[in-house]
Amino acid sequence: MRLPLRRPAQGRWVGGVCVGLGAHLRMPVATVRLVMGLLVPFGGAGLLLYVWFWVTVPVGDPVRAAAEERPAALSRLAPRLRDPSRRVPLTDIGLGLLLLLAAGLLVAVRAGVPIDYSWVVPALVLLAGTALAWSQLDAVQRGRFLSHAGGRTPVSTLRLTGGTVLAGLGVLLLVGQDEPLDALARSAVAAVAVLAGAALVLAPWWLRLVRELGAERAARARESERADIAAHLHDSVLQTLALIRARATDPDDVARLARAQERELRSWLYDDRTVPGTSLAADLRELVGEVEDSRAVPVETVVVGDLVPDAGTAALLQATREALLNAVVHGRPPVSLYLEVGDGQVEVFVRDHGDGFDLTDVPVDRFGVRESIIGRVRRRGGTASVTSRPDRGTEVHLCLPTDLDEGEQR
Amino acid sequence: MSEDRVDVVLVDDHLMFRAGVRASLDGSIHVVGEADDVDAAITLVRALQPPVVVLDVHLPGGAGGGGAEVITACADLLTTTRFLALSVSDSAEDVVAVIRAGARGYVTKAITGPDLSDAVRRVAGGDAVFSPRLAGFVLDAFGAAAGDVATGDDELDRLSAREREVMRLIARGYSYREVAGELFISIKTVETHVSAVLRKLQLSSRHELTRWAAARRLL
Repeated sequence: MRLPLRRPAQGRWVGGVCVGLGAHLRMPVATVRLVMGLLVPFGGAGLLLYVWFWVTVPVGDPVRAAAEERPAALSRLAPRLRDPSRRVPLTDIGLGLLLLLAAGLLVAVRAGVPIDYSWVVPALVLLAGTALAWSQLDAVQRGRFLSHAGGRTPVSTLRLTGGTVLAGLGVLLLVGQDEPLDALARSAVAAVAVLAGAALVLAPWWLRLVRELGAERAARARESERADIAAHLHDSVLQTLALIRARATDPDDVARLARAQERELRSWLYDDRTVPGTSLAADLRELVGEVEDSRAVPVETVVVGDLVPDAGTAALLQATREALLNAVVHGRPPVSLYLEVGDGQVEVFVRDHGDGFDLTDVPVDRFGVRESIIGRVRRRGGTASVTSRPDRGTEVHLCLPTDLDEGEQR
Repeated sequence: MSEDRVDVVLVDDHLMFRAGVRASLDGSIHVVGEADDVDAAITLVRALQPPVVVLDVHLPGGAGGGGAEVITACADLLTTTRFLALSVSDSAEDVVAVIRAGARGYVTKAITGPDLSDAVRRVAGGDAVFSPRLAGFVLDAFGAAAGDVATGDDELDRLSAREREVMRLIARGYSYREVAGELFISIKTVETHVSAVLRKLQLSSRHELTRWAAARRLL
């Protein structure tokens, strides 16, 4: 999936189009800017493209927009921190001044010496003025509204345009019954031009109204969904508190209950959850929670990168689970777990601070380490090693190659 | 260093938690002031200018920027007043936001009293405090792949090979002392590497870095 197309305020030079495109296409901004620049000599294609995106793409942070589009059930409940560095829209003000200057120049030119290219300037001013008016549509999904404004299907668009043209013709014929044909045509063109100009400038306000209505409706639906989740959470906290009170005499039980509840609350409040079955990191965290709950030992878990689980990573997780259980049962806390999804391989480190043991001392009939950890990973083409030193505890290192084309996700 | 008295301002919106932290800090650390929202915190820190401010990532008030907003508003004091972020949230976007605003370290609220006191002293001494979790975020942000390696010290957008090694060991749960032993370097050198990484995390203009924090779990 890609980030939605937005014009971010951060890192922009003019309108933020290239930054937004870069984020959307996952390309470096410099490349996008270069391509835009190289396209300019071709009949101003780069410039036109830029203006088009400027007009149609709404302002906003792509990441934030992606976050807002997530289903409420998968998003974190806690409010996101707002970026405190809000700047004055200097570029917008500058552009406005530039436009005023152009308009003043135009008036001066009109008053003084008539210049041949005078039609270029009004065209530019009109274009820029329209762009400015459209830029009012902050944070609106303009693209969506553009496609909706005229109707959802080609047929309804055709109907709308046809109807407008017919009605206009009818009015024109009614009003100018006795006029000669060429005068009628001329006034028709003038009327249409004025109407089109007015519509072009006023459209953003109308679209904004429509948008606010839609956004409000969506926000209400989201709010009620979040209220349901919050109610469920409060309920589960109450249950846990009741259980803790009932078992107040057993400190181990109380600690276990508190830890489990804390983990659940934390993930609902501060994490954006993934769709089940798409994230190795989420599966690992679930496994860690299970081990923590059953053995009442906290595990410091760090995950770098993520990928979609497959049969290989399932075996790796099984081995990790065994290693973790070993560390929790035979080692001493703190127990650390580190998973890294790198180029073409997944690595897992499980470490405890126990006295350590010597693998050669482990009897051959003990299945634990040899079979369930090392054997599992080796059968999948990976490597496994156990380092154990009395002063530094034991560390199990598992490494599994992944298929790059189906593996690496982000 | 541990003999020196360290004055601390505590910023958290939960009264019970502030009381707990105050009780768990050891004798050499004195809580000279407390605040419970963004605006009060900014006023208090500006008035007292303590060597260390321990602050929560999530705070009510202000413009909604939480702890990061407090640090940004006190940016001119950063040479004398150091910020240590304390958070119940493990989310990368929250943690990276306060670090990028200028915090010298980040610890979770589950931290023990002695560890927190130690972290406060370390921050007061100008060092960076990296939890395994923060090291993981750094590796995520700068890319864990081994090929993308900085060649010069002035390069802000990539980690050097050594810095990456140090980060990986910290993420694996190694203490600074254990990292030093594993890599055959001094603890001082480990601290230098960690401070360099913190600086990169704060100053890097790497485009993905700002986007990354939130995007990580979204797509």
